[in-house]
Amino acid sequence: MTTKAADILVAAILLVVGLIVGFDSLRLGAGWGMEGPKGGFFPIVMAALAVAGCVVIIRQAMKGTSSVKGSKPFVPSGGMKPVLTVFIPACGMVLLTEVVGLYVAAMIYLAAYIKVVGGYRWRTVLLISIPIPLIFYWVFEKIFLIPLPMGMIGAQILRF
Amino acid sequence: MDILTNLLFGLKVAGEPYNLMVAAAGLILGVIVGVLPGLGGANGCAILIPVTFVMPPVAAVILLASLYWGSLYGGCICSILFNIPGEPWAVATTFDGYPMAKKGQAGRALSAAFFAHFCGAVLGTIALTFFAPLLAAFALRFGPPEVFGVMLLTFSAFVGLVGKSPIKTLVATAFGFIMAAVGIDIVSGELRLTFGLTPLMGGFNFIVAVIGLFGIGEILLTVEEGLKFEGVKVRMRWSDITATFKDMRRYWKTLVLGSFVGVWMGFKPGGATPASFMAYGFAKEAMNEEERAQFGQGHVAGIFAPESAAHGAGTSALIPMITLGIPGSPTAAVILGGLMIWGLQPGPMLFVDKPDFVWGLIASTWYGNIIGLLIVLAFAPAFAAVLRTPFAILMPLLIFICAIGAYAVNNRMIDIWYMMIFGIIGWAFKKLDYNMAPMLLALVLGDMAESAMRQSMIMSQGSLLIFVQPPIALPLVIAAAIIGSWPWLNPMIRRMRGKEAGTSAGH
Repeated sequence: MTTKAADILVAAILLVVGLIVGFDSLRLGAGWGMEGPKGGFFPIVMAALAVAGCVVIIRQAMKGTSSVKGSKPFVPSGGMKPVLTVFIPACGMVLLTEVVGLYVAAMIYLAAYIKVVGGYRWRTVLLISIPIPLIFYWVFEKIFLIPLPMGMIGAQILRF
Repeated sequence: MDILTNLLFGLKVAGEPYNLMVAAAGLILGVIVGVLPGLGGANGCAILIPVTFVMPPVAAVILLASLYWGSLYGGCICSILFNIPGEPWAVATTFDGYPMAKKGQAGRALSAAFFAHFCGAVLGTIALTFFAPLLAAFALRFGPPEVFGVMLLTFSAFVGLVGKSPIKTLVATAFGFIMAAVGIDIVSGELRLTFGLTPLMGGFNFIVAVIGLFGIGEILLTVEEGLKFEGVKVRMRWSDITATFKDMRRYWKTLVLGSFVGVWMGFKPGGATPASFMAYGFAKEAMNEEERAQFGQGHVAGIFAPESAAHGAGTSALIPMITLGIPGSPTAAVILGGLMIWGLQPGPMLFVDKPDFVWGLIASTWYGNIIGLLIVLAFAPAFAAVLRTPFAILMPLLIFICAIGAYAVNNRMIDIWYMMIFGIIGWAFKKLDYNMAPMLLALVLGDMAESAMRQSMIMSQGSLLIFVQPPIALPLVIAAAIIGSWPWLNPMIRRMRGKEAGTSAGH
């Protein structure tokens, strides 16, 4: 995908979101209510600005007067793979968090990432991935008394 | 002198052992987040906000402010030793900092940067100490229309003066306000823009947005570019520091100029980056032919200028935050958001209601910058070592820490998902020149701007003329209109001038 196409795509998405916001504001009422302007007044002004702006952005991109270089690829060659190798495992960690809680999920995520992507020895992997989440557990749950997500079974695993 | 008594009082508050300890902890953490790619002052503060819930507000703001000063100090380590600007305003430092480090003068370059920071900090803190109370006293006369005028001026400054694409800045700002509006309408109490979806009812939290846009987004950009951290090794010697003293005596004009440019520009939103480039340009202009040729090859004044400007701008960004409730930088925006979470109402009334808080914060910038200078001078090589952590270990750790910060603000699992989505948005927006600082600011200030507007309209019973009433609102709105339309106005003026010049030349 070229930067030009991405520019137009993003502006188009924003345009649609702006329109949705505009319609919901109309539903709420954007006029004068019992106590001043109604709830939809401010959002609809912003939505109007956003929609008008997006139209200009799309026109600029089409005419090639945008500030970004349209002909360049949006993601430089060889750039997508590292981005996905970061993003997908990170999403995996968040998914795991729903089940086993953030601490255990972080242990699994750190270990897997450092082993598979980093290619480190098991000793290094374990020396980092096990103690660091435990230190955070101790600092947050025991010292600052800030509860972090435990997921469905995380509280049963970390019982100290 | 009223201000001096207050300052002494503040120095006593900030000088309590607990507060000093908090300041030192904040500074060390700040230098670390400043050094690390993907984490900056805004992010560090956002992640730490949950921790501040257990502290008194004075200590909490000292922690965040110290982290801010630390991150300003830390940013230059990255740009000088690794040629990678950790923050946009550190770009100008790489021009001369990295060549100096390559020439084996890494220690001298770093110590020059640290002392330049200190000069900027001193001038910024003087401005904060003596100018902020005056501005606050003036702002006490502001009603809703004037507050709205100030907001308008802030955002039109972003559109008109900052960023490569004014129209995209405008769109980003509008979406910031739209995100702020999601959830419960503060005036009528009805739900809006939730489309019946439960996760949307709580609205978007700006801390989650900061961590996603600036943290995850920045990490994605870093790996996409495939940056390698192969830095120059550094040892700080006493001779480096004495050499810096000599440099400072020789180029004191550059330092003073840089600091002034920084403080002046930093007062306006988004000013740090242009300030650092401007200071660099001025410094270069002021040199003689021979020295100008050395710029870009590793001239020490090329470090002095942008670094003193960046720190001066960072410090004076607190002035509008503490007096008007309008932050001048993303980090100041996060600190402002913290203020609201701690139950304080930002704005000029703070000076009246919470003098210990305001003056504790102001005094802590004095302490913080002195302690900060000592810390970075003593431990710069240790902080640089943080960057030598292999990326495959550092990166998942950063994401883990970001997730903690995003969750802990509201204890909502959905916020971690939002963080990931904001990460993608931040990655795409950065590549397409959408300016994220005003978007974030709009998200923080959304409720305040909207209620200022609605209250004004209630006061005037629907007449828009209230926004242009003299004596204060009118000049604010006129200034906003001129600054906001500057990108379109400027070429028009130039064309007219060009025509005039053309016709007069023809005669």
